[in-house]
Amino acid sequence: MNMLVSGTALLLACAAFFAYDQFTFRQGLVRTLSAQAQIIGSNSVSAITFNDPQSAINTLSALKSSPNIESAGIFTASGELFAQYLRDGGNEALTIQLLPEGKAEAYRFGSMHLVLVHSIVFQGKPVGTVHLRASLQELDQRLRRYTSIAAVVLVLSLFAALLVSAAFRRSVAEPIVQLVDVARVVSQDNNYSVRAAPTVVRDEVSLLVDAFNNMLDQIQRRDDALQKAHDELEERVEERTRDLVSSNRELEAFSYSVSHDLRGPLDTMNGFSYLLLKNYSNQLDANGKESLQGIRTAVRRMSELIDDLLNLSRVTTSIMHREEIDLASYSRSIMEELCHRGPERHVEFVAPARADAYADPRLMRIVIENLLQNSWKYTSHHQHARIEFGSKEQEGGIVYFVKDDGSGFDPRSADRLFQPFLRLHSAAEFPGNGIGLATVRRIVQRHGGTVWAEGMVEQGATFYFTLESVRSEVPSRAS
Amino acid sequence: MRVIKIFLPSFALGIVLWSLFAASWARAEQPHPTEPQIEAAYLYNFGKFVTWSNTSGVSTGEVFEICVLGKDPFGPILDATVAGESIGDKKITTRKISNLQESSHCRVLFISSSEESRLKPALAAAKNGGTLTVSDMPHFADKGGMIQFVPRDNRIRFEVNLPATEEAGLTLSSELLKVAVKVIGKPGN
Repeated sequence: MNMLVSGTALLLACAAFFAYDQFTFRQGLVRTLSAQAQIIGSNSVSAITFNDPQSAINTLSALKSSPNIESAGIFTASGELFAQYLRDGGNEALTIQLLPEGKAEAYRFGSMHLVLVHSIVFQGKPVGTVHLRASLQELDQRLRRYTSIAAVVLVLSLFAALLVSAAFRRSVAEPIVQLVDVARVVSQDNNYSVRAAPTVVRDEVSLLVDAFNNMLDQIQRRDDALQKAHDELEERVEERTRDLVSSNRELEAFSYSVSHDLRGPLDTMNGFSYLLLKNYSNQLDANGKESLQGIRTAVRRMSELIDDLLNLSRVTTSIMHREEIDLASYSRSIMEELCHRGPERHVEFVAPARADAYADPRLMRIVIENLLQNSWKYTSHHQHARIEFGSKEQEGGIVYFVKDDGSGFDPRSADRLFQPFLRLHSAAEFPGNGIGLATVRRIVQRHGGTVWAEGMVEQGATFYFTLESVRSEVPSRAS
Repeated sequence: MRVIKIFLPSFALGIVLWSLFAASWARAEQPHPTEPQIEAAYLYNFGKFVTWSNTSGVSTGEVFEICVLGKDPFGPILDATVAGESIGDKKITTRKISNLQESSHCRVLFISSSEESRLKPALAAAKNGGTLTVSDMPHFADKGGMIQFVPRDNRIRFEVNLPATEEAGLTLSSELLKVAVKVIGKPGN
């Protein structure tokens, strides 16, 4: 491509030079011929005047010294041939070429000849005309010679250009292209172990290559360090996870055995108190029966407490499997259950058709269950209750809520709501052991979300929760 | 009467045709100039190739005179040849003279062959007066005349007596000498 461009440029330059040279050479030829014609003319005046053709022939014969003049003729003022000269001999008579009116000289370039006509003027009077005919062979030869020179020069310079270009390519372009390739491999394949081949010649390009390789060394070292840190971290995390898993298992075992052991005496107490009531009710007075009832109630409460604690511990330690679930359907089935257990209640329940979430189904069921049970419980004093479950989009994610118009709570005590065992109402007002909300908070936290409540005394309460602010691709950690 | 009527037109036609023919014949004759015409032209042209020095006796005038001494062979031809012409800035005039006294103003003097017997004094007077003497009488140049017409190869050529011209204070251009058939007084001739 470059060759074509430079070749064309050279060709054009040569052509321009040729054209100029041809032009100036032609002009030179004309000038020479004109000078010769004038000399011949002035030397032939007397010959024409006194009718001495021999003298004119002698004058013309001097043209022998000009090898390019083929023929010459002297014509009288009336147009007759007076004397002629033919380079190659022969007897052909020349014919007159007429001069245009008023011009002393005229010339014409033919294909192979230049013909020049000059008027002979002596003391203001035209005496005759001189005709000279010169061959353009020299011109032609000149042109041919120049063409061959140009061709040789063109070929040589193109060849030289080719050599220079090849050298340039080798020393500059190729190493740079190689650098580009290496850079591409590094970015595409994240392979930091490749290096650019150093050049043979120590010049600026080789400096570039060295700097490039140094940079890659640095990058590789950083990358290795990063990988090492990552691996170490992974190791540490695995260790911790193992520790956690083992301690969880220990805890699980402990809770199970404790509850199991605690259950034992409770069952005994439950059984014996039942027996007493059943078999010795006729021997007991009202106080006695009341005391036994009290014992049974307490036992039952303790049993419930143990179950809840067990639940809470399980919630904390169990493995979480996330799925696409519909919380709205959970709320509906839980509500059904509650209505079934308490048919005398008048509760209006509102829930959307769907409330999608990506969470552990078992744990979320516990959340919905606890929240709805709370609402059910704390609206039991009202004739008519309204419980709503729903979700709304907020920036960052979806917020789910359970809302009731029950007895509510003092907002100043909101921070105590979710702590275990701390109850804002006495057991006399509302039964419960204060584990439910703690459990909800634990589950929601495990899902990466938060839970909070808003409410006023006797004006209902709304419990909000989120599950993981952004749905990420990170798979759930096995624990 | 009838005969004349018939013949007259054709006769007239014949005359017209004949005169046309004769005229064209005469015109065809013209390219060949006569001897007097050539000599007259030469007389006039010599003036272009001769330089009269200040020491020559010819008084500088406004005209260039060509004189004919003796029997005039030219008639009106010389006048016709030089009519309206000039040598340099001088207008050419012609004069026929019969004695030498009148030759002092002549630049060019043609001595007719009728003056052969009185050649010597004529030449002497011309030399003093710085006049170019030309003639066609035989041996003119040998006898001291400057330019002598000689017929050669069907053409009019001339001989030049160089010393004679030098004595009269005249300079002849080499161009003129080049076309002379003989130049007396030049080495090699």
